[in-house]
Amino acid sequence: MKIEDRLSVLNYKTDKSYAHITIKPDICETCPDHFCTFACPANCYTLIEGKLNFKYEDCVECGTCDLACAHGSVTWTNTKGAHGIKYKFG
Amino acid sequence: MSEFDAIVIGAGPAGASAAIRLASSKKNVLLVEKSDPPGSKNVSGGVLWGNGLSTIIPDWEKSAPVERFVDTKSVAFLTQDSKIAIDFSSRKLQQKKTGYTVLRAKLDQWLARKAKEAGAMVINGVTVEKLHMENGKVTGVEQGGDVITSDAVILCEGANPRVAIDSGLHKRLSDNDVALGVKEVFHLPENTINERFHLKSGAGFACEYVLGYLQNGVEAGGFLYTNKDSISVGIVVSMSHLRENNSTHSYDLIESFTSHPYIAPLLEGGDMQEYSAHIVQEGGIGSMPKLYGNGYMIAGDSAGFSFSNGLVLQGMNYAIDSGILAADTFIAASDGKDYSENSLKSYQDRLEASYVMKDMRTFKGIENVTWSPFVHKKIPAMLESLMLNLFMEEGKPKRHMTGMLLDAMSENDMLKTSSIMEAYRMMRRM
Repeated sequence: MKIEDRLSVLNYKTDKSYAHITIKPDICETCPDHFCTFACPANCYTLIEGKLNFKYEDCVECGTCDLACAHGSVTWTNTKGAHGIKYKFG
Repeated sequence: MSEFDAIVIGAGPAGASAAIRLASSKKNVLLVEKSDPPGSKNVSGGVLWGNGLSTIIPDWEKSAPVERFVDTKSVAFLTQDSKIAIDFSSRKLQQKKTGYTVLRAKLDQWLARKAKEAGAMVINGVTVEKLHMENGKVTGVEQGGDVITSDAVILCEGANPRVAIDSGLHKRLSDNDVALGVKEVFHLPENTINERFHLKSGAGFACEYVLGYLQNGVEAGGFLYTNKDSISVGIVVSMSHLRENNSTHSYDLIESFTSHPYIAPLLEGGDMQEYSAHIVQEGGIGSMPKLYGNGYMIAGDSAGFSFSNGLVLQGMNYAIDSGILAADTFIAASDGKDYSENSLKSYQDRLEASYVMKDMRTFKGIENVTWSPFVHKKIPAMLESLMLNLFMEEGKPKRHMTGMLLDAMSENDMLKTSSIMEAYRMMRRM
């Protein structure tokens, strides 16, 4: 099963006014490893024509990218007020 | 005068247990949880060992949303082609039910309701942004500029303790402190699960796997637990190995587990209903923060209370027990109204006297065993060649068992002194 299909079964309450994770594109541009693209289990970090693309909307709030990025690009915060991932089973 | 006696951040097993104990002792307690409903952001492999829970909720098994009690516990090594398992079933496990498979979105919601029934104020859907401090003492929490005050705060934020980290009470996490867990839940009819796993109604199967076949040397463990009408299955991968590898997606690892020839048939026909992931505390005593200070205590996963030696995984039980002990410390401190560091340090003493800290000390350095190439690569390969020698009839003379074992060890370069030392260290630490 593709990761997109797996993510498609999940429920989110997306916070359009607040991205709980942000990146610094200038750091990602010179990043030697892009480990985030392999570590993130929700495929939020992808390389498109060599450029890092990040989307917070699919984030499952696992906390991985915050420590995966060893170059200081990722700023991780909790989602606000019941937004973000909503698991039925957990 | 504070608005609350105590504020508990996080309504998982640690936070809810602390709130239940505090409210049962007539303390005015606020339990703040960022998800709504509670538990809807929480992920767990899934076996709850509930001895501690019975001290705050007697007969919890009767009303808690548990899935199945564990009556068959397995540990298995998987190679590309083989499965070598130790399968333990016992009438004693059936008689004394201590482990139950659970789904956290259900369990945590129930625990939060129990906290409410005990008299705690429970607020869902509110994310605590930071701790409120006065003169170097924690005196409440802040969210959106609003301050709610309390005599002390108990932090039970789970494996990714943002408030504690941002407040400087917990160091930033690193590769050695955590692993990544990725999980899927497959729906299957209750009867199919009973038949497929040879279970009576209500009884469950729990298994931990060493995945000795993963590509490019990535080290990961697998798990599979039966719920009432679903199966929780997943992997836990070492962050440092994933980083060293840097060419395998974490979501592909779970796929290579669920599609293994001895796992896929167990899930066959199942409808994948949920995909989830979370970091898992793995660092043991070496990753622990200071557990108390002026006006605060830290419990559960936030405090690093989780443990795995590859055979047994525990965490929710430590969360419950440490939450209760933090509450007990608060209750004792409230006699003299002293919530200073000096007063709350008895939390550490309580933990040391309990099995929580004793286990952490006993299994210090266990991560060196659970994440060693010896366990992940050599042992599965050696066991596979031993079993093939034992059970594959090829019309050739057989050797005695010892000879076969020595052959299997030598094939996998395990006869050197270093390997013998590794095996010795492993046995001692487990």
